Amino acid sequence: MDDQMVMDDQMLDQDQFQSYRALYVHIPFCKKRCAYCDFTTEAIESGDPRIESYMDSLIMKIRRYSRQEILGQLETVYIGGGTPSHIGNKELSRLIYTLSLSMHLTPEVECTMEANPESLTLPMVKDIFALGVTRLSMGVQSFDNEVLQTLGRIHSASQAVEAIKTAQVRFDNISIDLMCGIPGQSHQSFVDSVSKALALEIPHISIYPLSIEEETPFEKRISQGLTEDIDPDTQASMMQEAEELLFAAGYHRYEVASYARPGHECRHNKAYWTGVPYLGIGRGAVSMKQNDHQRIRFNEEGVIETLNRPQMLVEDLFLGMRMSEGVSKEYVERIDREIEGTLDTFESLIDDNLVYEDAGRLKPTEKGWLLGNVLYGRIYSLEP
Amino acid sequence: MALDPHYIRNFSIIAHIDHGKSTLSDRILEMTDTVSKRDMKEQVLDSMDIERERGITIKSQAVRVDYKADDGQTYHFNLIDTPGHVDFTYEVSRSLAACEGAVLVVDATQGVEAQTVANAMMAMNANLEIIPLINKIDLPAADPERVRAEIEDGLAIPADDAVLASGKTGVGVHDLLEAVVYTITPPEGDATAPLRALIFDSYFDAYRGVVALIRIFDGAIHKGDTIKMMATGATALAEEVGVRRPTEIPTDELGVGEVGYLVTGLKDPAHVKVGDTITLVRGGCEEPLPGYRDVKSMVFTGLFPIDGDQYEDLKDALEKLALNDPALIYEPETSHALGFGFRVGFLGLLHMEVIKERLEREFNLDLLATAPSVEYHVYKTNGEMLSLHSPQDMPDASEIEHIEEPYLKAKILIPPDYVGAVMELTVSRRGEFKTMNYLSTKTVEMLWEMPLSELIMDYFDQLKSRTKGYASLDYDFDDYKPSKLVKLDILLSGKPIDALSFIVHSDKAYERGRVLCEKLKEIIPRQQFEVPIQAAVGSRVLSRQTVRALRKDVLAKCYGGDISRKRKLLEKQKKGKKRMKSIGNVEVPQEAFMAILKVDE
Repeated sequence: MDDQMVMDDQMLDQDQFQSYRALYVHIPFCKKRCAYCDFTTEAIESGDPRIESYMDSLIMKIRRYSRQEILGQLETVYIGGGTPSHIGNKELSRLIYTLSLSMHLTPEVECTMEANPESLTLPMVKDIFALGVTRLSMGVQSFDNEVLQTLGRIHSASQAVEAIKTAQVRFDNISIDLMCGIPGQSHQSFVDSVSKALALEIPHISIYPLSIEEETPFEKRISQGLTEDIDPDTQASMMQEAEELLFAAGYHRYEVASYARPGHECRHNKAYWTGVPYLGIGRGAVSMKQNDHQRIRFNEEGVIETLNRPQMLVEDLFLGMRMSEGVSKEYVERIDREIEGTLDTFESLIDDNLVYEDAGRLKPTEKGWLLGNVLYGRIYSLEP
Repeated sequence: MALDPHYIRNFSIIAHIDHGKSTLSDRILEMTDTVSKRDMKEQVLDSMDIERERGITIKSQAVRVDYKADDGQTYHFNLIDTPGHVDFTYEVSRSLAACEGAVLVVDATQGVEAQTVANAMMAMNANLEIIPLINKIDLPAADPERVRAEIEDGLAIPADDAVLASGKTGVGVHDLLEAVVYTITPPEGDATAPLRALIFDSYFDAYRGVVALIRIFDGAIHKGDTIKMMATGATALAEEVGVRRPTEIPTDELGVGEVGYLVTGLKDPAHVKVGDTITLVRGGCEEPLPGYRDVKSMVFTGLFPIDGDQYEDLKDALEKLALNDPALIYEPETSHALGFGFRVGFLGLLHMEVIKERLEREFNLDLLATAPSVEYHVYKTNGEMLSLHSPQDMPDASEIEHIEEPYLKAKILIPPDYVGAVMELTVSRRGEFKTMNYLSTKTVEMLWEMPLSELIMDYFDQLKSRTKGYASLDYDFDDYKPSKLVKLDILLSGKPIDALSFIVHSDKAYERGRVLCEKLKEIIPRQQFEVPIQAAVGSRVLSRQTVRALRKDVLAKCYGGDISRKRKLLEKQKKGKKRMKSIGNVEVPQEAFMAILKVDE
């Protein structure tokens, strides 16, 4: 949907739809596309004029939404990519400055920016911090140079360490992504990467099993037999190993892929899993708005999906089961009154050891996390 | 008023599958102005969608066409289109019995094939005049001279005057029509004798009951006659008689030599059987026409609705199909694994496939078919004989004296290069080689005796693939013979799954069990727990495989835009699950039930 449509929609729906409480800003540019990546992004030089004009339009949109008074309730901001750090300090500063004028970018607002080791600089760290960014999420993936090469990353392990230290000049709240189950990645290599992250005192770590997406270089290499396929058993072992290491170091797993020291959970990401309306701005960004009866996801091209109330409720349930806190038993009982079989389904999930009950809440077990698609699928099947 | 038999010609067109019979029939209808070009749906005679799609004829059809010959006279042709597949051999024989002649169509590029031989033999046995026709001469690869030689050498049919034609372009169709007038004899019969008419096909009409397609041999049938089916003993009123052009045109009577339809008003198709003789209740004939036999199902399979709620729908659908297809028989069957369904008997594998497809397509059913089986005769120690249609009903080994299984006489036609390959395959299927004849330098006829149970195990596909598609196959039921047969059970997580059991020769039990376990290991997806797969005869386990437990199945990233993707994935997963059958707590994909057939891959 074009901007005008979004705008009309917003004006029509103002009292009808809940306020947006999370904002996602998409920067769809990278120095180079990684081998596993299927996100909306393009490889482009950092000085390319297309970046400036894209940022101009982003800024215009933010200003317009601000005038429409739909940015007033935002509690979290996430500037994601692509690689936001790739576009340089000047463009980033313009963007964050605009945000600070357009919404209440107070220190209570969690404002995360993604950065890659090769493009994060000290001046950038200082400027974005000064303008209101509170959290940095670094794409590290591994501290093993060979693995980084397999992934098609353009930075080395030592560059990553340097960048983290640079970030730590201002930021305490840092997150890094680590991947497991990468072809050629040994068990030890993965464990070493986790240990390295712990040694660097990073309070938030995301652990992802590599997944092979369609039409990525990785998929081609695997289908041609040039790279071995991923092995879910190896990934399971590594995910479990990571959990043990991180537990021992005082982290808790608040979502299937997310570990944090207390107080460092990503509030923005939790919004996605708890039915909080979010506004997405930029090329690949998705927005979600809702009222009691429907939930609509849309992007710049138009509506992606519209869920009715039962679908919304079911979605809240399976998204809730991504998180360690799960969903409250009372909430499940309430939904059972609207959607037949909800309680029975949870009973059977408990029988299968995918879910357990704890202090009035239904939470995923270890097995429930590893077999997430089975767990979510069973809940999803409740949709009438 | 009855037609003068002198101007009637009754004939069939017979051919190997795909040799262009239906297209040729269409051209005849067109060139005799029976059906206008505008109304011409491709291949009018094959009226069922599935028939058209598969390019085969399943039911017989009869059409009257009027042809003004070069001699100035108008002749009445009854063109009887016969089923083109070996499953329907008996129907073919009855259709041929209604004719005086046959046009033997041979593809100019393919030459004589097994069914060409089988059909030609049947036509000769029925004492028909045969007009050889070499079809598809418009194709670049056509080699009419070679085909002519094959017809003469292999079939001993003079082919000097073979009609060269193309059903596609219409070339030669006029020559064919003239040949029909001059070669095929007019029907003979006694118009004053009591009625004798042959039923060569029938179908069910919801408003008019069973409609029979008949050929009058003696006497005449009039609207309003009270008639009797001599084999079934059923009586009925001839509510309407007429001819098909191809739309039905009622007439007052059908006389000697005529072919037409008869509306009986009977509601039970079992009363009107192909091959039976119709006569009058009063003043009827003494002797029926020869050649009647009861059609027997040869192949049996369990059909189960994937969604148990569709059981009643399946029952209704089978009832409806059986009305038009007396060869289709069924009885309820209960499986622990698959729930309520039916054991359904068919004439052969093609018949089975067509019925399953029609059930799914025309009645919107999702069906699961178990591996086909044959009718075994189990002789028990207490002297009883059990006709076994389902492995489930196999008595305990201690109660069995011996078991017999149906054997076939199979005829395979191949180029000489493939004799070795056919030998190897067929011997491995317990085939017993009988003899081999060169029909020409390029075609060898091999005769075998083999168990039907082996033939239905993917034999034809294997035969085709090992002979690069050149082999053609024809077979006939021979006899029941004793065999060392055992029931092989498949156990999942230690529990026997009745729908996966099958009967196999004891020498092959180990190998089949091993291969099947391996196949099932590939087919059954990993579940939340380990699933052992075992093949066993009685309590003896022959083979074992394990589907390891699924440890990880999660795509970790799930942020704003990923949620819609995630939903799509879950939707796909949900659909995939619908194609699975939950047995105990194991999810088994449908292919598993047919895996038994793919033992030779």
